[in-house]
Amino acid sequence: MYGWIWRHLPGNVGVRALISLVLVLAVVYALFQYVFPWAEPLLPFNDVTVDGEGGARQ
Amino acid sequence: MAARTTEQDEQTGTPVPASAPAGGARKRGRVAGTVSLFGELLITAGLILGLFVVYSLWWTNVLADRDADQQGNEVRDRWAGGPGALDTKDGIGFLHVPAMKNGEVLVRKGTNAKDLNRGVAGYYTDPVKSALPADKKGNFSLAAHRDGHGAKFHNIDKLKDGDAIVFETKDTWYVYKVYAKLPETSKYNVDVLKPVPKESGKKKPGRYITLTTCTPVYTSKHRYVVWGELERTEKVDRHRTPPAELG
Repeated sequence: MYGWIWRHLPGNVGVRALISLVLVLAVVYALFQYVFPWAEPLLPFNDVTVDGEGGARQ
Repeated sequence: MAARTTEQDEQTGTPVPASAPAGGARKRGRVAGTVSLFGELLITAGLILGLFVVYSLWWTNVLADRDADQQGNEVRDRWAGGPGALDTKDGIGFLHVPAMKNGEVLVRKGTNAKDLNRGVAGYYTDPVKSALPADKKGNFSLAAHRDGHGAKFHNIDKLKDGDAIVFETKDTWYVYKVYAKLPETSKYNVDVLKPVPKESGKKKPGRYITLTTCTPVYTSKHRYVVWGELERTEKVDRHRTPPAELG
C-alpha cells in the first residue's frame, strides 16, 4: 500500500519525501480534528457521572 | 530463478510444472502482496490507536484548558465590579481543592459531555438535581473528567478526610471539609447524589458537597465519590482575599 503510494508520487526522492510528510500531517490533522472527536463518545473511556443510564448521557 | 521456484514449491507442497515458472511467480507475487498489504494495514491500525491515546490524554487537555481559561477569565471580568448576587450565566463559580493541586476549576450548570469536555466541572441537573451552595439545605453535586478534557478531577484520590474543598462565588467563599469517600461504586448508584447521601453516613439534612468522577484512571468502569460538609462561609472582600485553607 505504502509502496504503491510511493511509486505513484511524482518527482525525485526529495520531492516524494516532502509530499509524503504533507500527506501524513494531513491524515493526523483529519484524525485529531474529525475522526477522534467523533469516535470518543462511542468508546467507554470517559463517562464520569452517575446517571443510572449506563453512561449514555456521560 | 527457475531453481529457486522449484525449491519453494517443494516446501509448500504444490509442485509447479517446470514449463510454467512465470505463472507460479505471479501467483506467489499476489499472495506476498496480499500479506504485505495486510501487514501494512495492521501497522496503520496500531499507529492510529497510538495517536488516539495521544489525543485522549494530551490533546483534549490542551483544548479544554485553553477553553476553560477563557471562560474563567470572562467570569472574572464580570465579577470585577465587586461582590454581588449569585450569577449562573456562564459558570457559577470556582472550585478550589488544594489537595488536588490543580488550581481553580470553573463550575457550570449541567453534566452532559459537551459541557464537561470544555474543561469545567458541572453540577448535576439530572438524575438528581443538585442544590446550590447558597441553599439552606441540600447536596451540591459535581462531576468532572478524570482524564482528558482538562482532567479536572484527576487527583480526586489524593483527597483525605478533613481536606478542604473551597467553592468561590461572586460574593461568598464556601469552605467544605471532606468527611467520607467511596473509592468505587457503580455508575448506576445515583443515591450518592441525594440531598442526604446516606452512604456517606449522614442521616440529617445538611449542606453537603459531592464530587464524582470515573475510576480507575483511564477507564469508566466505576465511579469515585467524595463527600464534604460545609464548615463555614466567608464574605468575599474587596481584594478577594482567599480563606486560610487556600493560603
